[in-house]
Amino acid sequence: MIVIRSARVRRALKIVLPFIVIPAVVAFGVFAVRGKHHLFVSTAVALLSLALFLCGFEKRKIGSRRAVLVSVMIALSVLGRMFPVIKPVTVFAMLSGMFLGPEAGFLVGAFSALISNFWAGQGPWTPFQMLAWGLIGFFAGVLASPLKRSRFLLYAYGVIAAVAFSMVMDVWSAIWLAGAFSLDVYLAKMLTSVPHTLLYAVSNVIFLICFAKPFSEKLERIRIKYGI
Amino acid sequence: MERFNPIVVFMYFALTSGIAMLCMNPIMQTIALVGAALLFLIRRAGRRGGHLPMLAFALLACVINPIFSHNGATVLFFVNGNPFTLEAVIYGAVCGVMLLAMLYWFRSFSALMTSDKILYLLGRISPKIALTVSMALRYVPLFSAQMRKTAQAQRAMGAIRADDSLSRIRGGARVFSVTLTWALENGIVTADAMEARGYGEGRRTSFAIYRFHRRDAALTAVILLLGGGIYYGVFGGFAAYQYYPIVTVRQDTAALLTYGAYALLTALPSTIEAGEIIRWKYLQSKI
Amino acid sequence: MEILTVKNLSFRYAMNEAPTLKDLSFSVSEGEWVVICGATGSGKSTLLRLLKRELAPVGEMQGEILFDGRPLESLPVRRSAQEIGYVMQQPEQQIVTDKVWHELAFGPENMGVPSGEIRRRVAEMASYFGMEELFLRDTGSLSGGQKQLLNLASVMVTGPSVLLLDEPTAQLDPIAAADFIATLDKLRRELSLTIVLIEHRLEEVLPLCDRLLVLENGSLLTYAPPKQAVAALAGREALLLSMPCAVRLYHELPPSSETGEPPLDIREGRAFLRENYRNGTASLPEETKRAEKEKALSFDHVCFRYEKSGKDILSDLSFHVSQGECFCILGGNGAGKSTALSVAAGLLKPYGGTVRLFGKKWKAYASEAPYGRELAYLPQDVTVAFSRNTVREELVGFGVATEAFPYDLTPLLDRHPYDLSGGERQLTALAMVTAKNPRVILLDEPTKGLDAHAKAAVIGVLRALRDRGAAVVCVTHDVEFAAELADRVALFFRGELISTDTPRRFFSGNRFYTTPVSRMTRGFFGNAVTVDDAVRLCLANGRREGAR
Repeated sequence: MIVIRSARVRRALKIVLPFIVIPAVVAFGVFAVRGKHHLFVSTAVALLSLALFLCGFEKRKIGSRRAVLVSVMIALSVLGRMFPVIKPVTVFAMLSGMFLGPEAGFLVGAFSALISNFWAGQGPWTPFQMLAWGLIGFFAGVLASPLKRSRFLLYAYGVIAAVAFSMVMDVWSAIWLAGAFSLDVYLAKMLTSVPHTLLYAVSNVIFLICFAKPFSEKLERIRIKYGI
Repeated sequence: MERFNPIVVFMYFALTSGIAMLCMNPIMQTIALVGAALLFLIRRAGRRGGHLPMLAFALLACVINPIFSHNGATVLFFVNGNPFTLEAVIYGAVCGVMLLAMLYWFRSFSALMTSDKILYLLGRISPKIALTVSMALRYVPLFSAQMRKTAQAQRAMGAIRADDSLSRIRGGARVFSVTLTWALENGIVTADAMEARGYGEGRRTSFAIYRFHRRDAALTAVILLLGGGIYYGVFGGFAAYQYYPIVTVRQDTAALLTYGAYALLTALPSTIEAGEIIRWKYLQSKI
Repeated sequence: MEILTVKNLSFRYAMNEAPTLKDLSFSVSEGEWVVICGATGSGKSTLLRLLKRELAPVGEMQGEILFDGRPLESLPVRRSAQEIGYVMQQPEQQIVTDKVWHELAFGPENMGVPSGEIRRRVAEMASYFGMEELFLRDTGSLSGGQKQLLNLASVMVTGPSVLLLDEPTAQLDPIAAADFIATLDKLRRELSLTIVLIEHRLEEVLPLCDRLLVLENGSLLTYAPPKQAVAALAGREALLLSMPCAVRLYHELPPSSETGEPPLDIREGRAFLRENYRNGTASLPEETKRAEKEKALSFDHVCFRYEKSGKDILSDLSFHVSQGECFCILGGNGAGKSTALSVAAGLLKPYGGTVRLFGKKWKAYASEAPYGRELAYLPQDVTVAFSRNTVREELVGFGVATEAFPYDLTPLLDRHPYDLSGGERQLTALAMVTAKNPRVILLDEPTKGLDAHAKAAVIGVLRALRDRGAAVVCVTHDVEFAAELADRVALFFRGELISTDTPRRFFSGNRFYTTPVSRMTRGFFGNAVTVDDAVRLCLANGRREGAR
């Protein structure tokens, strides 16, 4: 079976993956750019970065309570995505990142995408979505203290996250529609998705206004009562 | 295909779609589309629908390329002074074919790789995260039922109404907030239950009910053999192609061998599925 | 051999002044079944959690807990998780993963057991507990009883020698609860498993257990075989409430040196009555029929199904409840009792027949639902009613006049709803939905998971609401609760109500689906259904001459 049983091999992989494989893939992509292998390269980079993040987390000790809270957040954002129009995944990933740590933010973003796509439809876009939402959660976790201090920054992050998410997903669409990356197609795609992005940014801010405070209160209570 | 180990299935799809993404050779892409569509149709035998959105997406790809790309020798006509070339149209069509093939592959793939199989693969990389995802999968239907219950109870308490859209949104927010509290508080009990069963101490193993049988080994060998051959062909330039200025595709023996191997590889799952159906029909007729 | 020894154990929570446990000493031998009982807040759960290292509460502990002769905290991590199993009250919340097989494998996975070994153990457990059919199912699709058995099986899979259980049957219906207790008994007999169980429903457990440990305000009141322990409870009303009916009867009758050991179960109770009491006057007088008041809620040939192609959940259901009446609907699990209640509350729409509130059709309310003023509905799990951070905010939000509510909620005001005990939650939610004095109150399983004391409080409140003129409709499994509270009782079976009657006639007419007292006194007394009835009849008849 292709199972990495030995801990040593796993550890080795963790070092090999980031420092050799990803640059190698990118280099290969650049080298082979004449053949326009953007599809392959972009997908491979997305998958490898995901694998890298996951291996990194495996090393950390995830306490049972944190693990439960992360899965609660994943489930809630998956449920949120089932409602029409609104997509609270970004906000949930952000809040998880801020209050449960960057890893939690990444996991909530990435796996909300994966699980909700079991209903919304899996496709070649899945790894991209996972990575995009995962990183939104991750950076919200990294920037936790300023985001918690200033409401303005929090909303700004919500808007930036919406725009960044759209931009990343437009890269995907552009590559896949044209078979290779082309700036013209990308710009056109971005232009067509402006209304959608705006709606998304506004809904993010509304969600943050509605949920940031009660969420932090509820989590704080859990934190005090059970000591996480 | 369901009977095979998820790792083998995953490997197959990764290999096949990898080739499709690497090599925009029109013949290869057509082969891929035929293989993908065949599998999709066999697995969905008797059921209809589901093709239209995919076709629309593929058509979009066909149109977009000639609008943005003006390379190619055979000019069909000019739009606003920009040439509309046959080669660009063909390239766009091949993109459409590839997209369609990819969407078909993924439809079959997600039908085959149910959530617990994905979880199994994830468990190979990271047992802890696999567990977290497994818990989330359990929570999704649980929370959705809980939201329904909460909405009913709150409605019967007169706390939320559904008179107009504003009150509906306010009600929705309240239901969500109640469910969030419930989920967080109950999650702590679950965490205790996990601790009581030894979670968090030392290395976790990741158990799965899937085993690696002889048939899995056989399929793996076939996939690797064919896949290796095709990758050799693609990188060795045997399947070389160009679109601009005019479309040319290699068609000598080496190229035909590569195409043949690819045809065999893409036909593999549909053959297995079809074989299974025929075998059951035969066995049933004997009963 | 002593497997668990507790020496001079005291415990104080970090935020509390007073100690929760005071100087407890006892020991449990291998293969023994110990039942811990005591009132709410007596420290039962704290004691049980202290016995399981991973769940030990934070606070100051004195004294020693020895497992197999070694201090509990010196046990290696893995051994501690493996040897001492723990099952909690809520079946749903203990389940971790989404598949039954994965749930069974969860414990061994944590302990790093290799895959091949897990495969064997999981298969073994599934076979032993009869779960092969469920093996590939989603854990969410199981019934409450199946979930709790799964929890037990997934604890047993690591091969513990001691099993600690905190009210494992409180959330189960009576049939599933009896099943669970029977499984525990089997485990003890076949594996010599040591069991320590907290339970407030002692009817089935007491005759099976070896020792009873009674806690009172954190101190050990008695630790002895059930007969001796029970004998020591004389005069302790709060503790006796949770005892089996035979024990309660024994203690409520005037003590006498000749009555001998207390009876524990139905069989012994019968023998006790026969030997000690006469039965010249076999029956209590029937309740005089109450004057019929206005019909508050009425069902006329109501039919309901969830899906067009599904089967009828309610088929031609007709009944009515009058003002100032308590109506209890009993029936098996999944029979559709709760559905009937949801239809009554207007949450589900029937496809046939009519439901009327005070003679007005439900449909006529379409524009303005009568919730709050006319009708109140409380679901099974009342936590869905809470949306604020303290009880005070909840009560103010609904405009509850605390002093008008027939139960004193003031001690709870500053607590978070989720920090309340089950009974307190039920009463708080009841206060919220009845704030505007609704004339019809619908309750789904109001006594689920409550101890005898809380149950008595709920009964008191519901009686008071009824006496103010409200129609109270309860759907319940709890026959003793129905016998105590109801003016009329009905059995729900296959979508309709069968045999609607006063509790005394209803329960004395049933042979199986009836109260333990009725089963105990069958053939001896005519219509005793509650302990009070039996006591009254005993006193009216007097003691048998020359009774032993």
